[in-house]
Amino acid sequence: MKGKDSNSRESNWSRLVTQMVVITLILVIALIGMASLANAGGKVYKIGLSLAITGPTSDAGNPYAKGVEDYFRFVNDTKLLGDDKIECTIKDDQYQTDVTKRNFEDFLDQGIVFYLNYSTGSTLALKKDFDEVEIPVLPASFHAGNVEGSKYIFLPIASYSEQTILLAEYIVKNSKGGKPKVAMFIHPSAFGRGPVSDLEKAVGAGLGIEIVEVVEHGNDLDNTAMLQRLMSKGVQYVLCQTIQSPVATMLKDAARLGVISKTFGEAGKITFLGAHYTGGNDLIDLAGNAAENFFWTTSYTITSEPGAGTDAQLSLAKKYGRDDKAANSHNYANGVMVAQVATEVIRRAKEKGLEITKKALYDELNAMNGDKAYQPPTTVGPVTYSATDRAGVDSLQIYSVQQGKFKKIGTPITSEFIKKIK
Amino acid sequence: MSVNRWLATGNFFTAYQEEQRTFLTNLDRLIFSIFLLILFTWPIFFPLNRTYMLVVDNILVAVIAVLGLNLVTGFAGLISIGHAAFVGVGAYTIASFSRVLGDSHILLTHFWLILILIGGLFGAIMGAIVGLPSLRLKHLYLAIATLSFQMIFEWAIKFLTFFNQGQTISVGRVMWFTGEIGRENHYLFWYYVTLTLIILLGFGIRNLFKTRYGRALVAVRDNDRAADAMGMHPGLTKVYAFALSGFLAGVAGAVHAFLYKGAGIESFTLHHSITYLAMAIVGGLGTLNGSFWGPTAIQILNLQVEKFSEYASNYLPSAMNLATALRPLTFGLVIVLFLMFEPRGIANWWRIAKSYTKTWPFRY
Repeated sequence: MKGKDSNSRESNWSRLVTQMVVITLILVIALIGMASLANAGGKVYKIGLSLAITGPTSDAGNPYAKGVEDYFRFVNDTKLLGDDKIECTIKDDQYQTDVTKRNFEDFLDQGIVFYLNYSTGSTLALKKDFDEVEIPVLPASFHAGNVEGSKYIFLPIASYSEQTILLAEYIVKNSKGGKPKVAMFIHPSAFGRGPVSDLEKAVGAGLGIEIVEVVEHGNDLDNTAMLQRLMSKGVQYVLCQTIQSPVATMLKDAARLGVISKTFGEAGKITFLGAHYTGGNDLIDLAGNAAENFFWTTSYTITSEPGAGTDAQLSLAKKYGRDDKAANSHNYANGVMVAQVATEVIRRAKEKGLEITKKALYDELNAMNGDKAYQPPTTVGPVTYSATDRAGVDSLQIYSVQQGKFKKIGTPITSEFIKKIK
Repeated sequence: MSVNRWLATGNFFTAYQEEQRTFLTNLDRLIFSIFLLILFTWPIFFPLNRTYMLVVDNILVAVIAVLGLNLVTGFAGLISIGHAAFVGVGAYTIASFSRVLGDSHILLTHFWLILILIGGLFGAIMGAIVGLPSLRLKHLYLAIATLSFQMIFEWAIKFLTFFNQGQTISVGRVMWFTGEIGRENHYLFWYYVTLTLIILLGFGIRNLFKTRYGRALVAVRDNDRAADAMGMHPGLTKVYAFALSGFLAGVAGAVHAFLYKGAGIESFTLHHSITYLAMAIVGGLGTLNGSFWGPTAIQILNLQVEKFSEYASNYLPSAMNLATALRPLTFGLVIVLFLMFEPRGIANWWRIAKSYTKTWPFRY
């Protein structure tokens, strides 16, 4: 009896195991089938973005990452590339070059065809790697030195040097009296220092300003002494090339001292001006009323000015449920724009029937000029690249804060002296 | 000592020399040899992608640096909070050669091993100089002296144009007997180089503590007046501890420069000094194997926190930037918890684990 029971138990057990194996096999086959059906429609193009989502400068990196993420989602959701999809992996590097390097290696292991980088430091450090693997790169840094001696780095817009020189040209054109006295307020890094020598070169080439002092800020919480020193030296204009928070600190101190000019170039007062990363709505949030009459330049449209760029930016942000802060950030527009350029080169290469490779996208970027220039809605001019042109949008728009909002001043312009010093 | 050197079920030392043996039993030696064999062969059988190979290389570089820090802080009892600067001295020695001679000069491509030693030498010189205040200063005052070196180092690199004002100075690829070490084998090659250096330096330090020079470090740490009375020179011993630590840090920095094909100030800041200190504490101050455990634990923890904060940043309000705070918070918490509950570090867990195996097959 015992033997019979145990035989029956064994047979039940083996039947159960067989059933389990068959069910598992069916499930696995079904899953594989579903997965292959899901991909049957198109190809997947991999892109990598490494940036500071946390840590220093994450106030800019955060909306930038959201802009990139949202635009690629939009591309996939609206089938801008047909059945093909873009898979963009975004990784946080905490503004550390060592981590960026690791992220970049990770992306290469994943087989990316296009790379989006962030900081000046990491772009300069990885320059040789980009050349070695021959991958087109769009960084968030507009440092002119990024493209020196590199074939594969493309600046999204005019360099910091060009922005600073353009602001200096604006000072010359709009200043009354003698040679305007200018001080520079810069970040203590290559990001901040980059434009200094170029501005000095422009002055050497005949740009009519006097650079009185170059101040490298630290983590100062009070700029009273510095501002009083600048006043005592007769400084009329302060050109800023840094991030928003030190500018906000300085503007608040200047407001407390009553030295901010109410109109451009007001005698006995200081007019503050700054390049791309100094301005935007975040500056107004940080500095409050002290941001009034701050002059700023960038190649991006901003949401306080109505237009196609603003509509596109706000509708994209709304579609993907972004808060007002991200939606109105010029760094969100910045992220959207680099994603647009990457998508556009893929689209163009696809249109030509080319296989989407690093080389094909690199060639497409180089061909983006003349009648093939690309006009995204979020920039104030077309994106153009060639073998000798490595800055995407060459034109810059000057804005100033009027009644708590950045407002356009004139139409987009380009720097004259940048051509002279090149 | 047990007659059968394959067994160790008790301490039966009959001479001081027996206690000083690197391997107490043949079993220890065999296990260590197998462990080394595994370390040298696993990349052949289980090749990692470049990303994780870079992580492993990073851990090994940190091991060399922490070996140095453990010498000065763990064994000699001198708190150093400027260790990343010493590592930076090694890295910037290589970068300086690259700056002056060009990044692909034959000296850098062919004689890189000599340059690594020169990096160590410069680290040792700077270590000795920074160690000079230890002739007069003790405890926290000395720690502040090392902190000031960190500050001076950062300032000098950031402001001198020769050092590219802190931006990366590139270093070219090196050559081996098989030709240039290309992109594919770069991290694997530096894994083997760093591993070999660790083994050599590890044995060097282990043997140092069998000599009076090594014992002098511990004697000065435990009671410098007593050491003085015993005929040692506490001041010079401290300077020599700093020099030795600087040498190891310099070697680590030089390897770092070759590994990353460049040197930039971002890798040698105060934050990194604190990280090295955390590695030494978590690993176990004053223990040789703690220098291996600490970097491994902290780097792995770092990776996991990095992934978590990346994930958390999607959900936490960006304005509060809470994700940014996760890393320093975890770091601080780990150090505090170790100091409170396991001041002897992971090395103590290793010691306990080992003592359990000693009881096998017979309890003693």
